[in-house]
Amino acid sequence: MNTAMLIIGTSLPMNKPLKSGLSAIQQDTQLCKVCDRASSISLNKTHCPHCGTPISVRTKHSIQKTWALLCIAFIFIFPANIYPITYLLKNNEAYPDTIFSGIMTLVSTGMTGIAIIVFVASMLVPVLKIIALAVISLAAHFKWKINPKTQLLAYTIVDWIGRWSILDLFVISIMMAVFDKGNFLSVYPGIAATSFTVVVITTLFAAQSFDTRLIWDANLDAN
Amino acid sequence: MNTIICRHCDLVSERPVLTKGYVAKCARCQHTLYKAKAANAKKILALALTALLLAPPAFSFSLVSVHLLGVTEQTNLLQGALLLIDFAPIVAFVVIFCAVVAPVLLAACMCFSSACIVLNKRPHLLSPVLKMTSLLIHWSMLEVYIVSFMVALFKLNSYADLYYDNGLFFLVALLILNMSMICEYSNAYYWDFFTNE
Repeated sequence: MNTAMLIIGTSLPMNKPLKSGLSAIQQDTQLCKVCDRASSISLNKTHCPHCGTPISVRTKHSIQKTWALLCIAFIFIFPANIYPITYLLKNNEAYPDTIFSGIMTLVSTGMTGIAIIVFVASMLVPVLKIIALAVISLAAHFKWKINPKTQLLAYTIVDWIGRWSILDLFVISIMMAVFDKGNFLSVYPGIAATSFTVVVITTLFAAQSFDTRLIWDANLDAN
Repeated sequence: MNTIICRHCDLVSERPVLTKGYVAKCARCQHTLYKAKAANAKKILALALTALLLAPPAFSFSLVSVHLLGVTEQTNLLQGALLLIDFAPIVAFVVIFCAVVAPVLLAACMCFSSACIVLNKRPHLLSPVLKMTSLLIHWSMLEVYIVSFMVALFKLNSYADLYYDNGLFFLVALLILNMSMICEYSNAYYWDFFTNE
């Protein structure tokens, strides 16, 4: 009983004040990603003492997970851009539209602003996301000396802008609903719609599985 | 405990005393450590309850009417997503999850956890609910849906006459409620409540 109390007591960081200006990992302290609380690394190897969830100093296999998801995204980005994403059925004739031809149609009908939004959300962002995440994971793995602030900024942009790639999928669902009962016009999703979904979802998960603290672990002396 | 650890870069900082309206940022990575205002559980409860009330009309009322060759068609959010199931089930699942399930579940989770704080109860269910809340914040994409809706309207403009319906107002209201809930919410504050017996 007494020893158990002692262990719990010392596992909380209140007993030894942390030095500010250093990483927590250098002071045998880890932060629980679930409940935002600190605990000792050496005394709490498996579970957070505050909320009881499994804990690890850094997200487990963070870089491997990121790479696996990025590989899937890289494979599926080709069918997503080559095959038609929607079919427009007009007078019983199907007109296929790829992501790029859809954008060109928008440009030719004078909607350049919308075309730019769709181009950024559906073509530029997925590619840039894959490249940025790949560079950041490589830099963290091989301890390249790239400015960590720049890396985190790139990650933050990727994380925030990534959700906007879903835009194209929502547009397809709205277009389908609008042309639902019409006999003259109807819209159907193509193979690329599913491939594009896979790209968007895997890159979102890849960004989430990357632990940004690894950027600073690779640059502990750089600050 | 007068130190705080940055969850983005693992730097230990001293916890400063913040005056109202100020935000503490990490010295190394410039990410927000915490805000001066404490999460207001009563406010979040009110917002979440309103969001739950607004959700059924927002998803089932017609967003836009399209006049095309003498035929008028009304479109709502759920109908669009459900139509996709037969053609592209994965796409349909993602659309339904990000536009419908995640925002509603998020409101329900925040409603539950805020009610726990207001009533000062700590049920076992609170811990999974709090975990789910931080996951769902990532997947609630109503703002993306609104922008997609505008893109679709611009595309449709060249085919047909468009008239806005009531559902759109409910959807925009739901979006505003959802965003203010997320701004007000503080993961650390809710966990503090749960773990401090």
